[in-house]
Amino acid sequence: MQSKSFDVVVVGSGFAGLTAAAIAKRQGLRVALVSTGPGSIALGPGWLKAEPFGPSSDAAELSEAMAFFCELTRQAGCPVAGDVANPRPIPNYLGSCESVAFAPQRLWNAAGDDKASTVIVGIRGLSIFDESFMAERLNERAKAAGSPDAYTARQIALRRDFGIPATVLQIATCFDRDAAFRAELIEALRPAASGFRRILLPGILGLHSSDWLLAQLEAELGCSICEVPTLPPSILGLRLFHRLQSYLHSSGVEVFSGFPVHSLQVGKEMCIGVDVTAPGHPLTLHGESVVLATGRRSVPLLAEPIAGCDPLMRPLDATGAVMAQNLFLAGTLAHSAAGYRGDTMRILSGYRAGTFAVTTRGAYAS
Amino acid sequence: MLGVNPQYPGPKRLGPELERLRREGVPTDTEWLEYCLGCHRCDLACPHQVGVSEMIAQAKARHHKPLIRALRDWWFARPGLIGKLSTILPALSNFGLAMKPARLAMSIFMRITPLRSFPEYRWGKAQKPISGGGDRPRVLLFPGCSIRYNEPELGGKVVELLERNGFSAEVAETECCGVPAMANGNSGVAQSLARANVKLLAAQVDAGVRIVTACSSCGHRIKTAFGGVLDEDKAFGSAARRIAANTFDLAELLMEQSDAGKLDTAFQPTNFRLAYHAPCHQKSQGIGRPWFHLLRQIPGVTVEDLDAGCCGISGTFGFKQEKYNASMAVGQQLFDGIRAAQAEFVTTECATCQMQIEHGTSMKTIHPAEILLQAYRPAAKGAESDSVLEEVPARMC
Repeated sequence: MQSKSFDVVVVGSGFAGLTAAAIAKRQGLRVALVSTGPGSIALGPGWLKAEPFGPSSDAAELSEAMAFFCELTRQAGCPVAGDVANPRPIPNYLGSCESVAFAPQRLWNAAGDDKASTVIVGIRGLSIFDESFMAERLNERAKAAGSPDAYTARQIALRRDFGIPATVLQIATCFDRDAAFRAELIEALRPAASGFRRILLPGILGLHSSDWLLAQLEAELGCSICEVPTLPPSILGLRLFHRLQSYLHSSGVEVFSGFPVHSLQVGKEMCIGVDVTAPGHPLTLHGESVVLATGRRSVPLLAEPIAGCDPLMRPLDATGAVMAQNLFLAGTLAHSAAGYRGDTMRILSGYRAGTFAVTTRGAYAS
Repeated sequence: MLGVNPQYPGPKRLGPELERLRREGVPTDTEWLEYCLGCHRCDLACPHQVGVSEMIAQAKARHHKPLIRALRDWWFARPGLIGKLSTILPALSNFGLAMKPARLAMSIFMRITPLRSFPEYRWGKAQKPISGGGDRPRVLLFPGCSIRYNEPELGGKVVELLERNGFSAEVAETECCGVPAMANGNSGVAQSLARANVKLLAAQVDAGVRIVTACSSCGHRIKTAFGGVLDEDKAFGSAARRIAANTFDLAELLMEQSDAGKLDTAFQPTNFRLAYHAPCHQKSQGIGRPWFHLLRQIPGVTVEDLDAGCCGISGTFGFKQEKYNASMAVGQQLFDGIRAAQAEFVTTECATCQMQIEHGTSMKTIHPAEILLQAYRPAAKGAESDSVLEEVPARMC
């Protein structure tokens, strides 16, 4: 078995890269996933906003791509659900609302329109999340809209000392590793939640927790838990990223994480190598197909600026010629080249690039 | 560390955030610097390649410690010196280091935990190459302190493995790589060790010899040009970079042979389950997971890549009395992973990870090179599946 040659090499682990890698893996191919660090998912709030369709969108194909992505998240233990055409408002930590198309269950809970009264619970020392401010803003909004929704702010103190100010990362890491802390947190939440059917919390419930674990906590507490993403990188974005990346890893994708790609070897209209910066000497990976999904960072990887992409998502130079027959663009790169906008469109571009990388594989091999 | 010590400020704060203040001369010295494990995971997590761990290491070198700990760390920064002294009369050293009253005294006067056993010291030199070279590519094993002073026979096995797979190999007589010196806040020692090693290796590398390491920490140190400690000296700095570019992890080199179809795959079929732990300094080399792929080529071996985080010992860190509990708590996730893997034994290429795993799980933990080499040998009479286990030297747990 070759350790550095793959059927498909995907560069970038945001929405587009992970989707493309999953598509290729589903076909039973050998896939490498190369990334500098956590991608766009980890920097986001863990939900996917409703974006207007880009010029190259196709409603049916977008639904197909999103169905694939939702199934992927389900297998990864963090099911994301929603509807492209039916976005719903979810409150953010500033008490405004965002129009969201797809989100995990613990985020959808916050969008519930069952007219239930809601308690917003802050944690002493976690100054990044201000429950009173959030409740005040949401109540003002509800009043203005003539809605019967009512929000109450409460604060709890944790026995464990996280210092002041505490960070969501400290609490989430502790949540992941320590079952006693999880129990302690539930006990602290119980009195605050009493009398309410819905509890809003800052996103702290673990960097790796599965949906199953969170549902269990919800059952123990006896009311629905809604997590509110804090400033990036939010725990919810990180959780979605971690679960997807480790799922792909466990299903056989070789993950090369932590090192940037510093160049692409392109010759005779073929991408023949992906050079990864590593201590001492570069690591060169070879792929019959290469998917480039590294956001703006990857533009300098190609000798010329990308002027657009062809119907197979391959980059075009200023003369309209395909730069490399086996190189496919996805994510923000495809956005700048062909108008793929927003998270759902990134997934669509990853879905397309991954599909073309698989179907054309070997067709252009010299 | 964050998971077990909730107040730990984390690498972002200890590194870049405090660095701005440090550069402005604001006093920011904090005891938390001492709790950085030097695992380099922060460097991997940063999408902008900020050298977080190096900032922390430099700040750690300026951190003020109480005298008793400063004295202990003086010794811990010099495993090469300890090794040289201990191997004069290894039997006596091992006896002394295992004696309960001695350990109690060390605990009181040096703040070294009595709960761990020291590695045994052995005197020995690796055998000269059998092949005599010829036109095979030449490689030089950088043994590191562990092979040099504790497991010289492993050095011989690594040489044998390399010889068997198309190389002409020798063991170098190098100094400590400097990882323990930096971990104990002594950048001066790290620099002089780097200089000594560059003097020993530069001519070899310039003559086309590749350096190979069987210890991932030494490997990471050399590949980063000894953490860049010689960068200000033009001649030494560029020699260190040349050495870095020509240094390979043992598995990286063997996997290169495997990819080229040149690996000797005459492995004897066997039947056992293996749990592989990739040390942090292996992950931070950016070479993929070559041991995992190599070990899987042995027919009948099932390898589980544990992927359960840091073991927590971080070289000398886990031997420090005040840090012992944190060290064990960090490793808990890995210990749980090992138990869940239900493997016959554990393998990892880092000597201190091996110590920690054996201490935390009481499971036999060995270097993957030993397993690969053993797999070439026909099974012992009547004991097919356990041949690897039997021939591996017993280690004190």
